[in-house]
Amino acid sequence: MPKVTLAQNILAVNEHVAQEIRQSLSARGIRALNIMSSPGAGKTTLLERTIERLRGRLGIGVIEGDVETSADAERIEAAGAETVQINTQGTCHLEAHMIRDALAQIDLAHVDLLVIENVGNLVCPAAWDLGEDLRVVVVSTTEGDDKPAKYPQMFAISQVMIVNKLDLLPYVNYDLQKVRRQALSINPNLHIFEVSCQTGEGLEAWCDWLGTFARGV
Amino acid sequence: MHELAIAQSIVEAVEAKAVECNAARVKSVRLKVGEASGIVGDSLAFSFEMLTSMAPVLTGAHLLIDSVPHRALCRRCDSEFAVVNYVALCPTCQEWSSEVVSGTELQIMELEIERNDNHA
Repeated sequence: MPKVTLAQNILAVNEHVAQEIRQSLSARGIRALNIMSSPGAGKTTLLERTIERLRGRLGIGVIEGDVETSADAERIEAAGAETVQINTQGTCHLEAHMIRDALAQIDLAHVDLLVIENVGNLVCPAAWDLGEDLRVVVVSTTEGDDKPAKYPQMFAISQVMIVNKLDLLPYVNYDLQKVRRQALSINPNLHIFEVSCQTGEGLEAWCDWLGTFARGV
Repeated sequence: MHELAIAQSIVEAVEAKAVECNAARVKSVRLKVGEASGIVGDSLAFSFEMLTSMAPVLTGAHLLIDSVPHRALCRRCDSEFAVVNYVALCPTCQEWSSEVVSGTELQIMELEIERNDNHA
C-alpha cells in the first residue's frame, strides 16, 4: 500500500497566520502580548490596572477572549483602551485566525501595545501561537501553590509570570517561595512579578517593565 | 480538551493531501507527538476517531502515534539528558542552562493510502 510523506506541523496553518500577524504588527511598530491564566486569577483586573497606569505613556489596544459575554470588554473599554471582544462559543483557547479577524475591527493608528487576553485555561492556550511577542501567565494566591508543577507547559512557553492577589497572602495557605522555585525549575529565564491589583503593590514594577518592552527598548 | 481542535487540524491536512494524491481511502496516519507538546494521546485518538467517522476518505483510518521523549542539551557540559516533568536541570553539572532538543514535536509524518483503481 503506498505511503505518502507529509512531515508537516499539525498546527502549520495556525503558525502561518500567527507569523503573518507578527510581521504585520511589527511593520507598524506594535508589540503584542498574550496573557493567559486559569479562570479567576485576575487577568482582566490586572489589565484594567495596567491600562490605567500606562495610558498616558502608551496607546493600548485589547482583544478580549471569552467563551461567552462581552462583560470583560466593557470593563477594559471603561479603563481607557480600544477593545474588541471575541466569543469563542465553547472553544477553550484563542487561535490565530480569530486574532486576524479581530484586528480588522481595531483602529491600530494609535496603538503601541496590543494585549490579547486569552480564554481562562492553563492548558490549551499554550499550544496556539497568536502572533504575540510576549507570553504572560498569571497565577494568584487563592489558586493553590502547585500551578507551575501541574501545568508545566504553560510556564515553559511563557516569558513572564505574574503572581496576583498578594494582599490575600496572610489569609491563604500559599507558599510563594515554592511557586517561584517550581516556575524557575521549568523555565529559568522567567521574569517574575508579584502584585496585588487591590492595593497596587508591585504594579509599578510590572508596568515599568511592560512600558520598556512595548517601546522595544 | 484542545485535542479535538488538534484532531480537526490533522483531518483537514490529511484530507487535503488525500485529494492531492488521488487517494480513495486513507488507511493510517502516522504522527510524531513530543512528550512536552501538551497532547494526551488517548484523547487525541478518541477525537480523531470521532471526526474521521464523518469524513468518508478517512473512515476507519488508524492513528499511529510515535512519541518523542523530552530531552535537553546542557550548554555547560554539552551532554544530552532526559527532561523529567519539564524540569530541565542537567543531572551531571546541576546547571539550569540548557536547550530543549526534542519533545515539543506535533507533526504529521506520513499517510498510508489506497489509490482509486482507475487512476492507479
